Amino acid sequence: MSKIGFWLQRIAQLLIVLLLVTFGVSLLLRLIPVDLATILLPVGTEEERDILRNELGFDKGPIGYYLQWLGNFVQGDFGKIYFSGGTEEVSDHLKNAMPRSLLLMVYTQVLALAIAIPLGVLSAYRAGRRADKIISNTLFALSSIPNFAIALLLVIFIGVKFAWLPTLGYAPISDGVWEHFKHMIMPVISLSLGLIATYTRLLRADMIAALREDYVTMAASKGLSDRRILWRHVFRPSSMTLLTSAALSMGGLIGGAIVIESIFATYGVGFEVFAAIAGRQYVALQSTVAVIALFYVFFNLVVDISSGFVDPRTRDRRVNA
Amino acid sequence: MPKFTKPTWFAIGWLGLMLFFSLFGWLLPFKPWNFVFEDDLEVGLFSSGHLLGTDSNGYDLLSSAVAGTRMSIFIAIAAVGLGGFIGSVLGILAAYLRGKIDTVMVTIFNVGLSVPNLVLALALVSVLATNVDINQAVPTWRRVMVLIMSLTIVLIPILGRIARGATLSWSGREFVTAARSMGMKDSKIILKHIVPNVLPALIAVAFLAVGVVIIAEASLSILGVGIPDGASWGGMIARGRNDLEYAPHVLYVPIVFLALTVISTNHLGDVVRAKLDSREAKV
Repeated sequence: MSKIGFWLQRIAQLLIVLLLVTFGVSLLLRLIPVDLATILLPVGTEEERDILRNELGFDKGPIGYYLQWLGNFVQGDFGKIYFSGGTEEVSDHLKNAMPRSLLLMVYTQVLALAIAIPLGVLSAYRAGRRADKIISNTLFALSSIPNFAIALLLVIFIGVKFAWLPTLGYAPISDGVWEHFKHMIMPVISLSLGLIATYTRLLRADMIAALREDYVTMAASKGLSDRRILWRHVFRPSSMTLLTSAALSMGGLIGGAIVIESIFATYGVGFEVFAAIAGRQYVALQSTVAVIALFYVFFNLVVDISSGFVDPRTRDRRVNA
Repeated sequence: MPKFTKPTWFAIGWLGLMLFFSLFGWLLPFKPWNFVFEDDLEVGLFSSGHLLGTDSNGYDLLSSAVAGTRMSIFIAIAAVGLGGFIGSVLGILAAYLRGKIDTVMVTIFNVGLSVPNLVLALALVSVLATNVDINQAVPTWRRVMVLIMSLTIVLIPILGRIARGATLSWSGREFVTAARSMGMKDSKIILKHIVPNVLPALIAVAFLAVGVVIIAEASLSILGVGIPDGASWGGMIARGRNDLEYAPHVLYVPIVFLALTVISTNHLGDVVRAKLDSREAKV
């Protein structure tokens, strides 16, 4: 199959997944045993509800409703949030939440990779020795502690006991870089500890396998330094699984950090999901989940594309497959 | 007696204790909600009469944690059991039969995986736990059922994909081809040749999944859509958060129970997987 054909097929697959996810959520909402218009307008008159039903397509049956929602969604109309004083646009909420989630995700990834890569290389280089055992066991224990537990412990000690950092809220970069980071440090640490363990483990396993390759022996016999062999000859081919895992976890961090975002009141996309559920804003829920799935699928595609750049061997393999 | 390292013995011991608590915790000499008098309100760890102290309402934390064990472990085992079974059946069938069924299954799994676990669980719980009369509270037993159902649905694509992957690597082996050429029925090949080989990998993942579910249940409880009134570890954390500044020990107790349980299940999952790898290596 040609290269273009492969990518077209891959994109088509992802589009189908996206359509099915959004349709699934749409169907799920129709399963709610309560009239959606009554939930959205609890104090409105029956005429107002009828108008809303017609506007949102609740009266059209599951497929008609889905198609109407989809038509609005692709045009950037994500629906409204209804409350007793009026309505707010879901897209405005997401515009506010998205940068927070993206920054949280980027910082988390950078911190996790910055710590995991040296640790992974070191523990593979010293595999089975004491340094490796200490690193592996410590990370194993840390990764088993749920991120909300780490978050709460950070709040208790750093936020309350020593009062070094604010425990709630978010400050945009425009409020000052230090102010911004002060609010981000604790959420980022809570989210990245688990990732550090996962990344270190993946990198260690791949590097140990790569260190057994003949070309490493060859490089060593040519007299190259350990450092050069490790970083140039072993790290690069071993970073593939690591990068895949990192890219896939990006999708999960957008929207998946619900508990951390609500503990620290960061109000990112995950919190929007939670707020939509708590406020029974089912149209907002549907659009927000769709945006999250969109990001996930996007990062999946990024994995596919970037794998070809990092390890040129997979490019040919994919085309031949 | 198999030879285990010290951490493995600890993990087995701790999970054994948790199982004991969840089965026979109600026989232990304290009530689940042990109300104490004013002078005992909010005592710290290791107070007399209250080994792990009480929270600001005077609830004994040890008895709460033991009672919470039952809820957390029950939900985890039920969800992993159901999700593991359904996921394995779907995954094994998809990989063995290949063709259109496989394509459909993989698509369904990908759909499930394209939403973060917690978002999916949260959406399912909120929809399934909606009462016809929205102002009426949802009874606890129904919340438990809804939680188990939602977490099961979340687990099916995760475990199903792993079962599919494991089956793919076995169904191409010579002994499967041999069995087929001897005229063995597909159902018998799956049960006799595929399942026994795939099972160890699934058991290893099931241990990890128990940890994941315990954390997910706690997360949902912290968000207020799980088990209310501190009746699970997550519920205890949710309630303790209100007193975080004055009585942090209320949080330490459920966190320690939760973390030790998850460390134990993760470690045992690793041990099973390592056993598996060495067996594979010998072949």
